[in-house]
Amino acid sequence: MNIWDILSDGFFAALAGVGFGAISDPPLKAFRYIALLAAIGHACRFCLITYAGVDISTGSLIGALLIGFGSLWLGRKVRCPMTVLYIPALLPMIPGKYAYNVVFSQIMFLQNIDSPAQRAIYMDMFFSNSMVSCTVVFMLAAGATLPIFIFPKYAFSLTRDKKIK
Amino acid sequence: MNEEREKIEDIGSFIAEYSAHMMGCGVHTSRVIRSAKRIGVAFGYTVKISVFQKNIILSLADKGTKELYNEVIDIPALPISFEHNARLSALSWETFDKHLSLHDLRSKYDRIVNAPHINPLFVLIWVGIANASFCRLFGGDWHSMGIVFSATLIGMFLRQRMTAAGINHYIIFIVSAFVASLSASTSLIFDTTSEIAIATSVLFLVPGVPLINGVIDIVEGYVLAGFSRLAQAALLIICIAIGLSFTLFLVKDSLI
Repeated sequence: MNIWDILSDGFFAALAGVGFGAISDPPLKAFRYIALLAAIGHACRFCLITYAGVDISTGSLIGALLIGFGSLWLGRKVRCPMTVLYIPALLPMIPGKYAYNVVFSQIMFLQNIDSPAQRAIYMDMFFSNSMVSCTVVFMLAAGATLPIFIFPKYAFSLTRDKKIK
Repeated sequence: MNEEREKIEDIGSFIAEYSAHMMGCGVHTSRVIRSAKRIGVAFGYTVKISVFQKNIILSLADKGTKELYNEVIDIPALPISFEHNARLSALSWETFDKHLSLHDLRSKYDRIVNAPHINPLFVLIWVGIANASFCRLFGGDWHSMGIVFSATLIGMFLRQRMTAAGINHYIIFIVSAFVASLSASTSLIFDTTSEIAIATSVLFLVPGVPLINGVIDIVEGYVLAGFSRLAQAALLIICIAIGLSFTLFLVKDSLI
């Protein structure tokens, strides 16, 4: 196990989370927590896949659960709804490489429509990659939303001012 | 509160505007409904609300006087804003806890809605850094990261300019994806991880917020709203794929 690899994975995930989050105009005070959650979630998935041999969709589910519970805890601190923290934090985990392969294999399939052997290879590539992309996106969203179902009262009052209650 | 109770039509039209704005700026459906009902309760009215992709049907009832107020509101197409999401949710709790008057509520709402967005230049640079980091996560080397950074700057700048010019967003996505991936295909000249560079160069366009919101809506039981968000996201992803495939057609011989 290489600590340096894990740290750099977390670091770049944090940069990606903050950067993609910036498109959606998050509150300024939320940025550091988005970075923290993105780093923890992605590094967790990286460790599970690389060292524990877990597949990418289970790894994503566990990473998303971690981000979900983290946003429940940190949301209270900055008075932000959970989604404001966890959506940007989940973005670095979106399986872009697989989605790219879907597009690439689709084009190559259409280009090789006349040769059955090539066509079968690209068809297989298309389905396996779309299967992974769809499952991972669903796991990410469902995993991060689970804490809302477990602690609904707490999750719905994160933006409430504690002092008045 | 009861002595000088606000009129049902004033509260109704405020809640209509409030909930349409929240839906427009990318808040998931159950939160919009909860916040709207909370504001209604704070003023002593029962709110019944039904949310669709393009409009909201709202009805306010006063149990005592049997007064009713109905409204159908169009949801505006606004840029996604988590800042508005967080502050408008907090505003609904503040109204509930502190019993704000409609006048105060309205002025606070206007202040939140009219607050300036993050500087586009700041967003541009950060998106570039984010996409370069993404390239690194997928196993790209430092050269690819540099190429992805500059390709993203070009693509994102184009997207911002075209959005400001009010061009149809499907066309914006196709053109930005094409230009960004074409710029990233310069990596084919160098000895580097060019496939990863081309693949990551368009990822800044992925509509992550509607994708995740769609799944949240579906698992929370707002299946129609969820699927319409996913359908919208899928259309945008297809547009990215079209833009990317123009580039792949041009360079595919060097990729295999």
